[in-house]
Amino acid sequence: MIPETLKTSLQARVASAITAREAAVDVMKELQAHYGWLTDEAVQEAAALLGLSPLQVEELATFYEMIYRRPVGKKVIHVCDSISCWCADCDKIIQYLKDKLGVGLGGTTADGMFTLVPCCCMGMCGDSPAMSVGGVPYGRLTPELVDEILEAERHKP
Amino acid sequence: MPKLIIDDIPVEVAPGTSVLEAARSVGITIPHFCYHPALAIAAACRLCAVKLLDGPVKGIQMSCALPAQDGMVVSTTDPEALKMRALVIEWLMLNHPHDCPVCDEGGECLLQDFTIAGGHSRRRYQGKKRTFQNQYLGEGIHHEMNRCIECYRCVRFYRDYAGGTDFGVMGSAGRVYFGRFQEGPLESPFSGNLVDICPTGVFTDKTGRFRARYWDYQFAPSICQHCSVGCNTSPQNFQRETIKIVGRRNDQVNGWFICDRARFDKSYLNDPQRPREPRLDGATCGYDVAVDAAAKSIAEFVRKNGADKLALVGSTRLSLEGMILLAQLAEVAGGAKVCYFDDAGQQQGSLAAAKLLHEENAAYVKDIEQAQWISLHALDLMEEGPMLALAVRKAFLAGAQIFLVAGDMLPAMKVLPFKYTAVETLDQVPFEGGGKGVIICGAGSKDPDLLAEMASSGAKLVMLQPGPNGFAAALLAQQHAAVPLAELVAARQVQGVVCFEADVPEMLLSDLEVLANADWRRGAVEAKAPIFLPTTTWAESDGTAINYEGRAQRFERSRVAGLPLKGLDPKYYGSATEAVSLHPPRVHRKDVPGGAERDAWQVMAQLIERLGGEALEPFSGKWRALRNLDPEGEGVRIFEMGLGE
Repeated sequence: MIPETLKTSLQARVASAITAREAAVDVMKELQAHYGWLTDEAVQEAAALLGLSPLQVEELATFYEMIYRRPVGKKVIHVCDSISCWCADCDKIIQYLKDKLGVGLGGTTADGMFTLVPCCCMGMCGDSPAMSVGGVPYGRLTPELVDEILEAERHKP
Repeated sequence: MPKLIIDDIPVEVAPGTSVLEAARSVGITIPHFCYHPALAIAAACRLCAVKLLDGPVKGIQMSCALPAQDGMVVSTTDPEALKMRALVIEWLMLNHPHDCPVCDEGGECLLQDFTIAGGHSRRRYQGKKRTFQNQYLGEGIHHEMNRCIECYRCVRFYRDYAGGTDFGVMGSAGRVYFGRFQEGPLESPFSGNLVDICPTGVFTDKTGRFRARYWDYQFAPSICQHCSVGCNTSPQNFQRETIKIVGRRNDQVNGWFICDRARFDKSYLNDPQRPREPRLDGATCGYDVAVDAAAKSIAEFVRKNGADKLALVGSTRLSLEGMILLAQLAEVAGGAKVCYFDDAGQQQGSLAAAKLLHEENAAYVKDIEQAQWISLHALDLMEEGPMLALAVRKAFLAGAQIFLVAGDMLPAMKVLPFKYTAVETLDQVPFEGGGKGVIICGAGSKDPDLLAEMASSGAKLVMLQPGPNGFAAALLAQQHAAVPLAELVAARQVQGVVCFEADVPEMLLSDLEVLANADWRRGAVEAKAPIFLPTTTWAESDGTAINYEGRAQRFERSRVAGLPLKGLDPKYYGSATEAVSLHPPRVHRKDVPGGAERDAWQVMAQLIERLGGEALEPFSGKWRALRNLDPEGEGVRIFEMGLGE
């Protein structure tokens, strides 16, 4: 169940859209922020708000990589494995992240702090290899820089 | 009209025709998966590659998405195109399991056919295949996602064509998954078409899995007998059992698809409890003995009470042949009454519709699809003619306005695959002079004045009949001035009845003597009839049906009558003298167990002969034109033959 205030603001968001469907991503992101991830309940709530079937919301939810349909840690690390970053040896960075965090791709650290997922291009090819942590982009990664970033992100609110 | 050359064959096609269809028109099948004539173009599978050697575009192109243009020179056999198709099929097969031997689609699988056609016979890929969890999708359809080749046919049909919202495609890239949000029965009443439309075995018919292979089936062109739309089907039979029913294309009636009732509602055909033995006074007897007894009983009754006290009762379930012979039989019996309806309201509405409709005002399916407005008059479309809902949806998607007049908001209305405006009377439907409008209503139990009012609107008309062959019943009832049984009973004009596939309610029978009953299903009549004559269903007989728009369509016997071999009672093959194991059958017999059934019209013909008459070929006189109706054709609207009013 979402609080009434959130429900009202989402209804207003849907009402201001020309077609309800175009508000779907915003609604899903808000619900995800509320629950921590987009729960089954949240999919159905989004469907009710948008006038779509739960399946139609699920189609969108599972298409976008920043909508999480499973529980994630406090901050999600999206590390790029696409072509430009691959040329800049992102494999090394990904391996370093795996070792450092002690998780595989898709895994969440034991303390619930980070979830590591690969992603396909954030438009930071000029600063490859790149990743984002909790929505903050970082480029020109080296193992040392990764250490610093993770340490800083761990203590940031 | 674009002129092009395909594999050295000059082809001329209508503008907008794809190269794939142009090739098909001269007998060249270009392999394809995602392309389906009834669906929008996706160009998702990349299998239909051809090479254009000359003309406005050159090089490798997808033939399904390429409109034929003047001057094109197309090669389907160019080495480059062949190579492309071979590689495409190989990559489509990467994740496909090697499970054909345990897949129900095996033998009728487009993927098998085109894999072979594409020349892919040896797997090079050594990696892991992606796998999925299947979902429970209800009792009709089995889900096997691992077999999916991502052609998107299912979702294009289910969502775009049929308007369902509970099935779709999730995920992205190599993880796309076709299914529901949560497990559960598919909601669309057209979900069964996923079985036909999937080019491989992701969706198979759960009601007939693992019973037989395609080459084991006996087929025949058939007509669905569930409602008066008359969709074309093809029952697949194996060892006297209807295993599956699939849709058969007829662009004038159902297009490519059928509803779930037509596909899945078939257990009554195979029911071991179906009455199959002729009976006389409760005891099983030979068929001719039963016919003799029935003829004698009719003759005696007529002698004692007069022919006008006897009614021969048919129904809208009878084939047209049966309906015609019923009237002949009544005549031979000395002028007995003949009933095609038992309910007065149904006959009145049905007859009125048959009288009102003619070639100009009876809507073709195309008229519905291309209408500017459609008015549904107090009917439950999903019950009375589900396939027409898809035609209405086409019009709706093209911008037509849909109205529901005087609807009592039946619960089923909620699942209609289009939006509509509810109004109270036809006057509130805003149209001028009818132009490109269609009124759809159920004819049964409607006031003839109301139907006439609709007809006077200038719109095209769809008047759905109260039974599968209701239009024919109306024509015959009119020709022979038939009175519904309920009226005859109320006026005490009959004392005895002979029933032919008639579902007479028990209350009508209470004061009547039932001389004989011919039917393939159980009912109230059966208990009262001393003579029982088992008849064949539409699956086991040849016949003709006339649908709601007056279209006469021939269906063919798709299998012999008799009990299905599966589950056959050992009494049919065991020896009376020695105990034998149940399998295999030890005692051979020439007759088919439970196969004594005869077509209703043949039973009537035999009765006519026993009563001293001469049974005429059903299609003689004015019906003669229906003699050579092609069961694989589109049927013929009877108005064209001057058979309508």
